[in-house]
Amino acid sequence: MASHASKAFLSLGRIHVSGVGLQKSLSRATYATGVSTHTGGGNKGRPDRGGQRQGFIKKNRRTSGEPRTDKMAVDQDWTSVYPTATSFRPSAVPLPVRMGYPMKGGVPPEKKGNLELIKIPNFLHLTPVAIRKHCEALKSFCTEWPSALGTDAQCDEHFPVKVESTDYMSAAPSLRNPSARVVHLRVKLSSLNLDDHARKKMLNLVRDRYCKDTDILTITAERCPLRKQNHEYAMYLLTVLYHESWKTEAWEAEKTVADMEDYSWEESPSQKNILSMLVRMKVAGEGEDEEVREQLLGRKEVQEYKNSVTRLRNEGESESTILQYKEAVKKVLNL
Amino acid sequence: MALQRLSFRLRQTVTHVRSLHTSGCGQQQAAEAVESEPEPLSVFRTRENDPACHSEQHMGQYYTLPSTHIRTLFPHGLPGRYQQQLKTFNEACMMVRKPSLEVISYLKKTDFSKPSLRYLFYGLNGTGKTMSLCHTVHYCYTQGWLVLHVPDAHIWMKNCKELMPSSYNDTRFDQPLQASEWLRNFRITNEPFLSKIKTKQRYVWTKRESTEEGSLLGQLVDQGISRVKSSSDVVGAVLKELRLQSGQPESDFRMAVAVDGVNGLWGRSTIKKKDKSPVESDELTLVYNLKKLLTKDWTGGAIITTLSQTGSLYTSKFDYLPQELLGEKGFDGMDPFLPVSVPNYSEKEFESCYLYWMDRQWLQHPQSRTEEGKKEIIFLCNRNPSMMDRICASL
Repeated sequence: MASHASKAFLSLGRIHVSGVGLQKSLSRATYATGVSTHTGGGNKGRPDRGGQRQGFIKKNRRTSGEPRTDKMAVDQDWTSVYPTATSFRPSAVPLPVRMGYPMKGGVPPEKKGNLELIKIPNFLHLTPVAIRKHCEALKSFCTEWPSALGTDAQCDEHFPVKVESTDYMSAAPSLRNPSARVVHLRVKLSSLNLDDHARKKMLNLVRDRYCKDTDILTITAERCPLRKQNHEYAMYLLTVLYHESWKTEAWEAEKTVADMEDYSWEESPSQKNILSMLVRMKVAGEGEDEEVREQLLGRKEVQEYKNSVTRLRNEGESESTILQYKEAVKKVLNL
Repeated sequence: MALQRLSFRLRQTVTHVRSLHTSGCGQQQAAEAVESEPEPLSVFRTRENDPACHSEQHMGQYYTLPSTHIRTLFPHGLPGRYQQQLKTFNEACMMVRKPSLEVISYLKKTDFSKPSLRYLFYGLNGTGKTMSLCHTVHYCYTQGWLVLHVPDAHIWMKNCKELMPSSYNDTRFDQPLQASEWLRNFRITNEPFLSKIKTKQRYVWTKRESTEEGSLLGQLVDQGISRVKSSSDVVGAVLKELRLQSGQPESDFRMAVAVDGVNGLWGRSTIKKKDKSPVESDELTLVYNLKKLLTKDWTGGAIITTLSQTGSLYTSKFDYLPQELLGEKGFDGMDPFLPVSVPNYSEKEFESCYLYWMDRQWLQHPQSRTEEGKKEIIFLCNRNPSMMDRICASL
């Protein structure tokens, strides 16, 4: 107050009055100094009272209240917060989500007022709880799973052929997805009625599509534009494979040793080697060639040798198979 | 422990003197017993220099090969690094290990009237297969056998500078340089036999040169060395003669065929014909004749071979098992054979090697002489002989 008085004394005495218009007519210099000190003291409650020259007056804004997330309990029923698919509401989602590109030295912007979060589709209406509720509601319209198909083995037995295809959903201008036409057909070869020759021929025909560990043949059809067409094509392929593998063509008689899947010791060079060696060693008695052969083949050591060589060739090499072969050779050659 | 060893030795000398053992060995043992020999030189060395007398108790110990033997027997057989070690240490010390002892024991029991058996050393790279082969060959040499040593079958399958069509058979190819070199080394090794064995057939080389029936093998070999052009055919003739004569009642020699890197004989080759197609192994005279020798058609000896991945062509670095390296044809060709595994050093063998190098002042680095240093060496090389050699070379 004291300062006011002193300033008033300096001026021409009319500045006390907080009238608006008069102040302007006074000399600028004094007004300027006066106003500067005044604004320090008197402008608290009334913003821009002297702001007529600024033009517009900001209306009194209602301050926004607390966001709803503060009042949410941890164990609330979320399905009532988001019962249907709606866009993202930052005040209704209690997660501290951030989205957007972090500018230099910054972090992704927060969720309040974040257009990126609103633009993208969200699945907040499909939480597990919501889905459980949907299922409960749908249960009354469903029938029970048949008891005869309780285990996987029973399913395999009654339905050996399994067809798999994928449906795709996306929020995009078009509903179609070209990958949806792909069809995989899986069947276990043990469930098909194939004899030895048919099985070998089938394996030769399908090659990579067969997995030895699981005994499953997989036929993938994707060359037709529609799923239905691909499904029918895959079934047709299976039928043709089955029938062709049962037939025997004339040229199959030309199968060579290199084509054989398994190693068979009979008529192999290994058998010839060991027999001639034993004959030269004169292990068996003198006699006709055939008799001597039969006699040698019947011996225990030769059988053991045969097993070890077959195992070595079929199973591949390892320390144990080599050791077995070594023991067999030692016994046969009497070392 | 020394006392135990001493008493064990005395016990052994008694049994040796009584048993029908080779005379050289018996005398040596008896002399030692008379001397009442003091403590053995050290834990890792043995005085037993005759491979015939090596047994389980010598496992892991080094024995010295006499230098005369080295010059005659191994003009071309020892691994390169080992030859450098020979020059450095001025002595040839080889470790007695289980695989070679096993094969020597089989060789001692061989019945020479039966077809010759095949032994195959196999193992990871650098575990000592070639050294085991050399040990076995040394045994055969000391027993007075004829040694036919092919140091590396892979060198016949690659890097051939001169390839000539064979004069004997049009479809085959000759390698005169390799053949003449091999003949030279063969002559050095088997001098005494060359003047004893006679040829059974007449060989015609050119219009003017021929070797008559009944001439000495030495003449045949000289012919091959002097006339380089026909050396491959000479090699073929030599192998054929030896194969026919070995095991016959009138010949008094035993033959040991030692082939290192036998998997090369059935592998692919990098030699190319004039039209850039690769040469098959059967189209090379040397290889063809050697393969005939590897069959079981002859008696009176043994075939000792090793696999080798290091020099082989078109095989993966990690292959070491017989079937992987030999292939199907090789396996059928060698079958039935006795595979002998050559593993890395055992604890005892590693100790032996380490002590030997300490003794020879090879390990100069102060830390390598400590326990810590030893553990570090074990960790770095995993007791693989060649790795250990390379690591310790820089210490």
